[in-house]
Amino acid sequence: MKKILQITLGIITSVGGFLEIGSVTTAAQAGASFGYQLLWAILLGTICLIFLVEMSGRLAAVSKHTIVDATRERFGFPFYAIVMLGMVLVAFMVLVAELGGIGLSLQILSGLGFPWWAIPVSFVVWLLMWKGTFGLIENGASLLGLVTISFVVAAVKMHPDWGSAGHGLLPTMPGDQKAKYGFIAVSILGASISPYLMYFYSSGAIEDKWDESYIPMNRIIAGFGMTFGGLLSMAVLVAAALAFQPRGIDIDKFEQAALLMTSALPKWGFYFFAFSMLFACLGAALEVSLAIAYFFAQGFGWNWSEDLEPSKDARFSFAYTIIIFLAAIPLLFGVDPIKVTLMSMALTAATLPLAIVPFLFLMNDPIYLGEHRNGWVSNSVVAIIILISFVLSVISIPLQIIGG
Amino acid sequence: MRLKRFLVVETRMRAKLFFAVPLVFSTVCKPPTPAEQMDSVISWLATAGMAGDAWLRHTTPDKYTRQTLELSHDTLLQISDDLLKSRPPGTDTASLDSVLTRSRGRIAQMARLVEAKNSPAFLSQLDSLRVDEKLVKQFSDSIKSKQ
Repeated sequence: MKKILQITLGIITSVGGFLEIGSVTTAAQAGASFGYQLLWAILLGTICLIFLVEMSGRLAAVSKHTIVDATRERFGFPFYAIVMLGMVLVAFMVLVAELGGIGLSLQILSGLGFPWWAIPVSFVVWLLMWKGTFGLIENGASLLGLVTISFVVAAVKMHPDWGSAGHGLLPTMPGDQKAKYGFIAVSILGASISPYLMYFYSSGAIEDKWDESYIPMNRIIAGFGMTFGGLLSMAVLVAAALAFQPRGIDIDKFEQAALLMTSALPKWGFYFFAFSMLFACLGAALEVSLAIAYFFAQGFGWNWSEDLEPSKDARFSFAYTIIIFLAAIPLLFGVDPIKVTLMSMALTAATLPLAIVPFLFLMNDPIYLGEHRNGWVSNSVVAIIILISFVLSVISIPLQIIGG
Repeated sequence: MRLKRFLVVETRMRAKLFFAVPLVFSTVCKPPTPAEQMDSVISWLATAGMAGDAWLRHTTPDKYTRQTLELSHDTLLQISDDLLKSRPPGTDTASLDSVLTRSRGRIAQMARLVEAKNSPAFLSQLDSLRVDEKLVKQFSDSIKSKQ
């Protein structure tokens, strides 16, 4: 009974915590510019994420190691330091974007510009980290994030052509604007396959004291949670295709995206969007802050646990304190969070191989996983992910320059 | 002596790189074509229209609507300046300028009417903006057909 409850909660939190500023922005841009044509990118990204999250949980449950612990132990600290540098850089940019997303949500609700929100928002995020437990961060924000289900309601109420949407699940090339199409596809994949999620998930499994008995549960949570989460992203794309594409609106600014549900849900659509983004970005900001603190604490061998009093893991708490307030600085000076988001998506794509190649080695190491190491299916999927990652990293940045 | 020569060559190479890198980037970061700029203009005119519609249906707060209209106005001003400087081929630039200026004026007026909560006057401006939007689309089609 307890396991069933855990599974249910796990799936709900995965769904509630799936969307964040990157996934919403890229899906809205895709729908507005190319209709249903880029649904395949969300599908591919979600499949990749299901496998990676399942593996992250399995590694932690069987080996009692987080990905960071295992990477450092297996490859040595100098190699881990390179991985850490790349991951922390990208995660920091994602944190700036998420804090900015909260600020933008508050801006459209209150009329007060997002730079004014930078410090109060950072303070609230820090306070939740300082006072909260892992359960609060994992479940609390994600449960609030369930308001994002309104995207599905809006998409269904707009009566999409399901046949055309189905065709969008297969990759096709557009007639024109190929560079822009490629860049948005890359951004969607970068937004979906976020390495910080793998590191956060494996650390969470250790925080929750998973053992081998959790392997089936992990599989169900990763499978169903990420699938439903992916459906939310698809709903954003479908709603944007119906709301914006016929009018010729391209999504460059958050203010435009805020109109996404106003025709489908006239009374509450605007507020559903604002609160969806507020809670989704809050949840993501908490997760990214924790992930960055995990990178440092686990990498340098400090005490770490979100459930410990800050005085018992002072360096871990210090790490997220500094990072959160540093992330507020660019926002304070008015740096556009949407631009940071798109930049961080491209950089995520560029650094994916750095995260995934060593992970493949770990997932095949009998010392860590024994009989639970990857089979050919998982290895093939990871190999494809690595291939996609390499291609993404090669094409994403030039595409950003040409098409972004 | 060799070191000195090396330093001179190295400095020259650096100077060349100093000019070459921006040159390469300026080639790669090509400015948007007039057709792309017209797409942006249409996008922001439609944004103002959609925000206006939503406000008239009482589905968005006043402050948000006003800010979005102001953002549309400012962005349109910037794009229009760039567009008109590039003199799109086969277009009556003066007519296009006139339509764009008029549209921006309407959007600025709409933002003021939100503040005054004057829905009838707002609706009238919105209807006129829709007419301007159609004219801009005709200009856009003409530019695209000549590219």
